[in-house]
Amino acid sequence: MTGGRLLAVFLCLATVGLVVIGTLWPVPAAAAWAGGTGGFISSSSTPEGAVNNFANDLGHHAWQEAYSTLANKGKFTEQDFVRDMTGSYPGLRTYASLDNFEVRPLHASDNEAQVELRLHWSTVVGTFLDTRTLQVVKNGDHWAPVWPIVKEQHVPPQVIPVTYLRWDVIYRGPEDDWGAQDVEAPHVRIIDMHPVERAAGVVVLGELLNEDVVPAYVSVKATLLGKNGSPIATEDSFDKISHLLLPKQVTPFLITFPNVSLSDVDSIHMDPTSSLVAASADPVIEIQNQKLSPAPDAWFSGSLVNQSGQNVSIAHVLGTFYDQSGQLVWVADQYIDRALLPQTPVSFAIPVPEDLARKISTERAVVATYSPGGFQ
Amino acid sequence: MKHAFTFLIGVTVSAGALPALAQSGNLDLPKSIVAGSAFSIQSTSSAQGVLYIVGPGQVLKRDVQPGQPITIAAGDLDCAGHYLAVLTSGSSTETGEFDVVPGSQPATLSFLAKPSRLPVGLQSGISGAVYIFDAFQNLITAPTPVSFQLSIPSEATQSRTVVSRQGAAWTDMNSGSKDGNAKFVAQAGDVSATRVIQQVPGDPCGLKMSAKKVGEQIQLETDPLRDCSGNAVTDGTIVTFTESWNGGQTTVDVPLKHGIAQAEVPAYNGARISVATGVVMGNEIRWANQ
Amino acid sequence: MVHWMLRASSALAFTKATTLFTRQPGASIFESNGLSRGISLQKLEAVAPSTRPIPLSLILMAALAVHLPLLLMELPLKSYDTNFHIFFASHYLHHWFDPWNPKWYAGFSQTTYPPLPQQWIALVSRITGLDLAYMTVQLVAILLLVVGVYRFALLWVTPRAASLAALAAVFLGSESFLVYSAGQLSTTTAAPLYLNALPYLFEWVREGKWRSFVKGAALFTAAAAAHHATLLFGSMFFAIPVLALVLIDRQDGERVSTPAFLIRTVVMTVVVAAAVAVVLLPFWIALIHYPVTQTPIPHASRANYILSPQWGLNYFVIPYGALILALPFIFVRGSAVTRLRPLLLGFWVAFLVGLGGTTPVGHLLLGRAFDVLTMERFSYWATLLALPFVGLLAAELIDRYRGRAVAVLTIAATFTCAMAVAWSTFRPADAADFKVDSVAAWLNRDGHDNYRYVTLGFGNKISRLSVLTDASSVDGEWNSGRMLPELTAHGGAALTSSKYFNKEGLDALRAILDHADRYGLKWVFVRDPYYEPLLTFGGWRRVDDLEDRTIIVWSKDGVPPAAPVNAPQIPPHWQGLMWGTLPFGSSLLAIFVVLALPERQRRRAADVEPAVMDKDLVPGRMFS
Repeated sequence: MTGGRLLAVFLCLATVGLVVIGTLWPVPAAAAWAGGTGGFISSSSTPEGAVNNFANDLGHHAWQEAYSTLANKGKFTEQDFVRDMTGSYPGLRTYASLDNFEVRPLHASDNEAQVELRLHWSTVVGTFLDTRTLQVVKNGDHWAPVWPIVKEQHVPPQVIPVTYLRWDVIYRGPEDDWGAQDVEAPHVRIIDMHPVERAAGVVVLGELLNEDVVPAYVSVKATLLGKNGSPIATEDSFDKISHLLLPKQVTPFLITFPNVSLSDVDSIHMDPTSSLVAASADPVIEIQNQKLSPAPDAWFSGSLVNQSGQNVSIAHVLGTFYDQSGQLVWVADQYIDRALLPQTPVSFAIPVPEDLARKISTERAVVATYSPGGFQ
Repeated sequence: MKHAFTFLIGVTVSAGALPALAQSGNLDLPKSIVAGSAFSIQSTSSAQGVLYIVGPGQVLKRDVQPGQPITIAAGDLDCAGHYLAVLTSGSSTETGEFDVVPGSQPATLSFLAKPSRLPVGLQSGISGAVYIFDAFQNLITAPTPVSFQLSIPSEATQSRTVVSRQGAAWTDMNSGSKDGNAKFVAQAGDVSATRVIQQVPGDPCGLKMSAKKVGEQIQLETDPLRDCSGNAVTDGTIVTFTESWNGGQTTVDVPLKHGIAQAEVPAYNGARISVATGVVMGNEIRWANQ
Repeated sequence: MVHWMLRASSALAFTKATTLFTRQPGASIFESNGLSRGISLQKLEAVAPSTRPIPLSLILMAALAVHLPLLLMELPLKSYDTNFHIFFASHYLHHWFDPWNPKWYAGFSQTTYPPLPQQWIALVSRITGLDLAYMTVQLVAILLLVVGVYRFALLWVTPRAASLAALAAVFLGSESFLVYSAGQLSTTTAAPLYLNALPYLFEWVREGKWRSFVKGAALFTAAAAAHHATLLFGSMFFAIPVLALVLIDRQDGERVSTPAFLIRTVVMTVVVAAAVAVVLLPFWIALIHYPVTQTPIPHASRANYILSPQWGLNYFVIPYGALILALPFIFVRGSAVTRLRPLLLGFWVAFLVGLGGTTPVGHLLLGRAFDVLTMERFSYWATLLALPFVGLLAAELIDRYRGRAVAVLTIAATFTCAMAVAWSTFRPADAADFKVDSVAAWLNRDGHDNYRYVTLGFGNKISRLSVLTDASSVDGEWNSGRMLPELTAHGGAALTSSKYFNKEGLDALRAILDHADRYGLKWVFVRDPYYEPLLTFGGWRRVDDLEDRTIIVWSKDGVPPAAPVNAPQIPPHWQGLMWGTLPFGSSLLAIFVVLALPERQRRRAADVEPAVMDKDLVPGRMFS
């Protein structure tokens, strides 16, 4: 064989070899595009491997492939499975993408295993965790997961009369003279404010009351002032508040100042803003069975019941926690990943920091909602 | 732009006139003229000339014939302020100064009333400020009596009379005890301006609810909500019902409808049910299943 | 410009053994006939009439025939990056000597990107308008590529094969892919300049001609002013093989002496490096002071094309097209012929890197740069390096099969080009075509442009919008230019497309909305309802709608008017003067020296008919 031929053979073999290496052990960037897979061939010869493959299919939204790998697919239809993953009605799940997942073996025998699958879904308002405990059964030479299906309730056809109030606003026109009257912005008041130091920095907690008779669209901005009176940082509550406050409604708020120490802060300047907006008193959300499970592993849980007739696509629960003296201790929140259907309870569970959970005596929750095309 | 141009001409003419002031005589001018009124200036010049009148917001130019008075028609000079008149004729220049003062008769009022909405029973909660202008939108700086009146249905009218200072007059009023629209009127001379102040109920007083069992639920209902003056609390006001039982809690925020709030909560034996709106707490019920 | 290059190219051809690559009768087309020189000479004479190269003017006409209509249709406007270049050009149009552009990222410096093509667009746009100016510059780049490929190929193969390589360049899938789908004007402008500089490098190092040195240095500098990465990586893939060829080749039986080789190589390297350092000084200053330390942004060109076949189609099949069929020939012939081996190795490395994450080579060779650069440009360079082989293959196929080969090659070339052009329609950068004029008009009225804005769901229309509006945005399409910590801390590209970057993109969007007050960000234009929940829960309200309610304007209360930020990154005035003068001046200088310094020897060479030249050659004298 001549040198040229040797070189050709070498280059060809090297190319093929490099492609094989790159496929079996892809570089991180390539693995990410392939849905986080560790390689081309992922074995179902172990329970974890089978669940990994299943989760990869979920990550690709390859519902059909994922469904086909299930051991208990005869017990529900593929449509039921897809509804479980994406929700029957538009909600956070519908447009979620799988950010990452964890597979934790819990128990294994020769023919059966139990695996915990933690799916971290990414949505427009943040990530949510969907944890399922899967039985994995041996089927010949491979393992197949048993999916614990969650079937959403269907709302029967019915008419729900809605007679709640709504507010419309006519603002002054641009042609009005100077001195002409305009509608007044709603009067709001901070009824509680309390800075705490956490690992992430300074957190300003508080509650805001709409003391007016009209709806208010509110926001709270805080400026930390140093010892010399100069501002250290300004942040606002962003989504850690219920922005729409109906008359006499109270919302908690939480403002985080990353990388700031409370010892550097001399005073805090609070700046609540409100504007008059058109609004509706609908929907009314009842919060049932609120419970605070004690530390460690403290959770504030309960269920939401939509008492109105329209579906709520996304609900945001803000929990406010008080100590025995009634002082504000913490504010925590969670977005609900499933739509709230009329009269259908949907559970929530908000983690509470362990050190704070021990101080909590009472708690309350408020719910902000979003429905496409509806009032904000 | 127009003002800038006027200012430019004024400055130019004034600058040109200043050297002349030292060597020429003065024009015979009235000391002050009411804005918009007609007046004439007698010229002693024997030759043709041009008269410039330069003020803060206006510049006039008139051709002058020898021996004839210069007439400024009504409405030609309507902007209040201090003016300089310069008559140039051949090589001679005559100058003079005069004031254009606002008319004494108010023609328009700018009335700022704050707030447009407030709870009943608030002392000095309403403020009104008036700026008085003549027919040519000059601020009337002469002291002028202004009367303020706050008319509240089924209540006595509150009145104040204030003499303006430097064109402005202001006062404050108390909101009444009854909700509804109050008419806030400011009057100066024959001119008046009206604003509407919405008086809304205050915080609820004596918030009270009752409970009854409906199926497996407890139906909660407040008494008609009223403030401390007896006004019905506005519909849409949020009332919070809280039911606490052994380790659990249910809350529901409901808007007031026709003065009452209603909600249903699960019936737990021994549950404590409370009601609140804003920072006002109501009564508490301890539920015992029959 | 073209004629001088032609003369130079012909002269190069004169000095090379064109018969080296003529196939031995009866042998496989993949095999070299290097061991049967006499036979090859007879063959050469037998086929002499068909060894005449295609006139370059004809190839340029073919390039015009193929690309001029497509460019006049403004097809590149649908590509990913075309509007990005037009946006940069629009800034140069209005602020030639001020590279600080406040319209993106609340302000960024355009010295972070070599300016040459955009400055030419700005200049031409004074006559034609921005869009047509872009098409004009792109067309010139395509024509220069034809010339460049011809001249580069002449270093390696016969004039006839080189002319076929140049013709293949007209139909090159990767070129059409970059022009019509990717819109990579800078890459497609720099590469032809670089290819045209390489023969001068060859001449300078081998023969020590100062004219070649001056021309080569000027062209290299202009290429860097068009696209710095082309010069950096081009050195690896293109220049090293050419230098290796200098060492391999003999002139009059003599090799270039090693000291001369080393000195000339070092002189050229030092002079070009110094010129590039000076011409792009503001770029280097910006790079040193503000290195690209941001979180890497995913790009599908780094995917494994087997694990993600859809990206394999996009970044391998479409750019390579029928060239894939030539890969075995490239490997076999490139290995068999000694003087082709440097070219083969250059191609091979570029080919492997261009495969993105399909092999670990890119990751190993480029290190962190692998996560910053996009890989399609490596495939582009690989295909350019493959073109001499393609020309060689085409010449041999035509010699052997005549009309049938011509027909097959024509079909293959047409199919390759057509697929790459059509790809911009099959896989458009923006699935939805919509106008942003109403958004721009809204921003430009009633003082709305006192505040900053961001769009959501606009895709790469944000560049077009930025050209039309006076308002400033916190978003943009030039990832390396961004300095806002909210953006650099997350691995998402443009905020307008943040949902496609999943958590990283949405975290960046959330962070910037959270700090709306800090940047005077008051307006959000939403074309994708996906983002509405974040805005609703984040405290933003609908205030208006445009385009038949398909675009909703959201606003936040209490936001102060936009104030200038990123002040430390603003280039001083002297840098603005340099930026407006030197890069553009380098291109003028390149044009001048190429036109003003004629090739004396070239003229002699140009007088010689290629067919005659071939006969005069002594086969095998160039063998090493």
